[in-house]
Amino acid sequence: MKRSLTLFLLMIIAVFGVGFAQAQDDAVITPQACAEGGTLTMRVWDENWAVVIQQAIDLWKAEYCPEGDVVLEVVPWGQYWDLLRNNAAAGDLPDIFNISQDRFPFYRDNEAILNMQPYFDAASIDTTLWGSGMVDPYRVEGDLYAAPVNWDTIAIFYNVDMYEAAGLELPTDDWTWDDFAEDARALTNAEADVYGAAVYSEFQAGYPNWIAATGTEPIVDAARTECTLDNEGSLEALNFLNGLYTEGVMPSISTLGGTSADDAFNFWLSQRVAMVSGGSWKLPAAFEQTTFNWDVVQLPRNPETERSRSILHSVGYVAAANTDLPDLAANFIVFLASDEGQRFFAEAGGVAPANPGLQDEWVAAFDSEKNIQAFVNATVDSQGVTIFSELGDVPNELVINIFDLNMPVEEAVSQACATIDEALAGQ
Amino acid sequence: MKRALGEDLSLPMRLLTYAILIIGAVVMLLPFVWMLSTACKPPQELNLIPVQLIPQNPVCFENVAGLYERSEDFNNYLRNSALVTLGRTLGQLITCSLAAYGFARFKFPGREIIFALSLGLLMVPFQAIMIPEYLLIRQIGWLNTFQALIVPGIFSAFAMFLLRQAFLQIPLELEESALLDGANPLQVLWYVVLPLSAAAVAAFGVITVQGAWNDFLFPLVVAPTNADTRVATIGIALLQGQRDTPWNLLMMASFIATVPMLLLFVVLQRYFIEGVSMSGLGGR
Amino acid sequence: MATRTSKLSTTTPASGRAWRWLGATPMARRRALWGIALVAPNVLGLLFFFGIPVVMAFVTSLTEWSGFANRPPVFVGLENFTRLLGDGDFWQALGVTTSLLLLTVPVGMALALGVALLLNQKLQGRAIFRTIYFLPVITSTVAATVVWTWIFQPRYGLVSAALAPFGLGDLNWLTRPDLILIPVAVVVIWQRLGFDMILFLAGLQNIPRPLYEAATIDGASGWQRFRFITLPLLSPTTFLIGVLATIGAFQIFDQVYIMTARTTRGGVGGSATTLPLLLYETAFTESELGYASAIALALFLLTLGVTLIQLRLQRRWVYYESGAT
Repeated sequence: MKRSLTLFLLMIIAVFGVGFAQAQDDAVITPQACAEGGTLTMRVWDENWAVVIQQAIDLWKAEYCPEGDVVLEVVPWGQYWDLLRNNAAAGDLPDIFNISQDRFPFYRDNEAILNMQPYFDAASIDTTLWGSGMVDPYRVEGDLYAAPVNWDTIAIFYNVDMYEAAGLELPTDDWTWDDFAEDARALTNAEADVYGAAVYSEFQAGYPNWIAATGTEPIVDAARTECTLDNEGSLEALNFLNGLYTEGVMPSISTLGGTSADDAFNFWLSQRVAMVSGGSWKLPAAFEQTTFNWDVVQLPRNPETERSRSILHSVGYVAAANTDLPDLAANFIVFLASDEGQRFFAEAGGVAPANPGLQDEWVAAFDSEKNIQAFVNATVDSQGVTIFSELGDVPNELVINIFDLNMPVEEAVSQACATIDEALAGQ
Repeated sequence: MKRALGEDLSLPMRLLTYAILIIGAVVMLLPFVWMLSTACKPPQELNLIPVQLIPQNPVCFENVAGLYERSEDFNNYLRNSALVTLGRTLGQLITCSLAAYGFARFKFPGREIIFALSLGLLMVPFQAIMIPEYLLIRQIGWLNTFQALIVPGIFSAFAMFLLRQAFLQIPLELEESALLDGANPLQVLWYVVLPLSAAAVAAFGVITVQGAWNDFLFPLVVAPTNADTRVATIGIALLQGQRDTPWNLLMMASFIATVPMLLLFVVLQRYFIEGVSMSGLGGR
Repeated sequence: MATRTSKLSTTTPASGRAWRWLGATPMARRRALWGIALVAPNVLGLLFFFGIPVVMAFVTSLTEWSGFANRPPVFVGLENFTRLLGDGDFWQALGVTTSLLLLTVPVGMALALGVALLLNQKLQGRAIFRTIYFLPVITSTVAATVVWTWIFQPRYGLVSAALAPFGLGDLNWLTRPDLILIPVAVVVIWQRLGFDMILFLAGLQNIPRPLYEAATIDGASGWQRFRFITLPLLSPTTFLIGVLATIGAFQIFDQVYIMTARTTRGGVGGSATTLPLLLYETAFTESELGYASAIALALFLLTLGVTLIQLRLQRRWVYYESGAT
């Protein structure tokens, strides 16, 4: 069953040539022995990751770099970026650190990040083996500055019990916006205070996926020149979602308790809503905390473009531009990006490893009949993150204006674009 | 037994007082109860809406075990917090009572300006000096050390102000008689002024200990990456992931970290009410 | 630090004439020296560990800097300050900060004094009440956030339930720009109350009991005793709390950050963005460290001005037993 799905995926890749552009079997990154010794510092924001990365470090030292060492530093996620600013100001950034797609442009613009392209070239790594959504946000003028660690995609988590109680057929990966809206209406039960869907919250899990499905780059174009929220595609998506909200099929932000996709997800866990859009990072929580039958399906397809698109975010490993040991740092990053270095992530089962060849292992780690493959399939036609940190909370404010304060979509959008254009001009 | 400060309250007044106090207490208590309740919830009950105040299947002890499984060194963090708190509090008791006494009782040129200037340091938000503070501590080579966590914390404009106000309330004659007996100012401070300010010193103790114990941003800036000097607040923050947070374990950790503060308050709070008689001032 | 210490020590062996500035009589000079010696450790420590960073921040306010060591700050003179004057966000944040100051300081102090007075009486269970009222000071902020968001949540929250009979059950407290400051102020007061209560309780202990007894014998009513004994003799504590609460109100950051974390940071349209939050956003989100430092300096001057006025006014109403000021 799983094998056939993988085959199906491979066929899609072969046909469309997007996403994992390379066939899986020759997309292997081979680690190399290091030329020099030394001790690197590496900063991450998650203790669970640190455990996984430590295993990789041990292997690297044993197999490829006996003279090298890496000291892992973990700082709390909530303060990770603020602390990194201290290091930037002192000029003592860690040799290697984790970065996110929205933060990358700022550090790269300030010349704080090492260009990895020469090292990838020297190791004969074709960087297109990682899908475009995964690495394009880390590319500047064709050069890749980061090695992706993992990926997150978005899909719909749905309550199977509610579907069955309503006598509906379970959704399939080829469903459309219209099917989705129809199901959401049927699943809404105003008297029981149960909503059909909650799918607009947050930049990553919410409305930008729907905008992307229309073929528009959500919020800002990839070149960071203009606000795209007032484009036709954005308006189509936001009006579609707003329609469901005004019908009472989707709850307001105040009802959900917050703008975070986690708030919407908790609402779903409490069986107050039948469908929620959620990231692959929510799978462990879904397995652990649900008290009902559930499954996952890809986001529905836009009726005109016939595309189901997911926002994809990939954390990157980068090296500091002023590291004393650039060759060693690059050597270790290449190792981390290799199948050997990534295997630990695949086996840990939490976050999905970046390398195409390890997806089966990641899916298998859940040991479940559920449609986890939907998240892998969603990487195929994915959209990298286009927002950047200087935008602040504009993407959330837009959501509140429309889905809580009932501002007309056009007005909310023009307000958001005014702020965004200001930020773009100030870059 | 019912000897009141002035007179006994009449029954209606007494009931009204209790009613007001109880309503207030509920509001004060609710988040604390929430913390406790979440600390005892299994994962399935964590995110229910509407909120469940009482766990249906409490798993308090399992969550304690879970916390120590996930954060193996949590006891070390608590020990570090205790060390930092003790160091800062004792240090502040010395530096700040000296300074408070100096400002309260001795005239010297520039006294007002220096006092206002010290107070002025409270007026700059920490967010503004976060980066300079890091640069300074790094410059003197103290990054990720215990001295960085303790030494800057033994100086305080706030505690100095608090003690100064208390010292100013002590009648001068008491000190003067001690001075006439040949005591030097340090002896007067130690044997007369501090004992007479027992209530204020207790308040200082509670507030300083609490501040040092719960300090989060400063330790994070001066000792960001050393697990050996990590304090409990940072250990707790580390439980909070980017995308997944075990709220029950996090609340359990918060609760465990709260217990010492609670005990301290229970022990010290009688000084707020009995300070005067304790200090032997009754005879004056 | 070294230069400061040596400056102090090199002036030690000096002739009587050079020492005139310390005081008129040898006794006064001796006491002045004692005073300086007593305050020196704390003042020098503060100057070194916090004064230096503050000066560094203020110097930064004259520059433009993205905060990277490899791209040093560019000196721009007073440009950041002229920009400040024309910046609508700054004036909005100033308005928010002022509103919160007015909303929280008087109410918070009155409540804390009230609770302290109630708990200063011989009441059964007062120890338990004092502990409970102190709890917010030590409760985990995360727990507090969750609960307050829940309390103010429309439809499901406690506030909505209480206001529903008046037809106000559906107010979006946490998203509406015209309402958001109310929950923020409530949280600020809630967190400060236990803290101020302790200070008031400690201050109440310094009031000699015989005064009340004498007044009672003279036939003074409860209100008169409060008005003419408690209030004046408590005034040094009231002054302390007033100054600290005012400084605290200018620094409100955490509570806003937390209350708006689940919606949009700083409230819709900046409706809850205080000056410290604006400063933080400017420094860490927009990466304009020079401009952020200018905001910090403006905030500092503002706070200092208000505090100096309070220090000046204290002579009119603060009563010190020892007669000193």
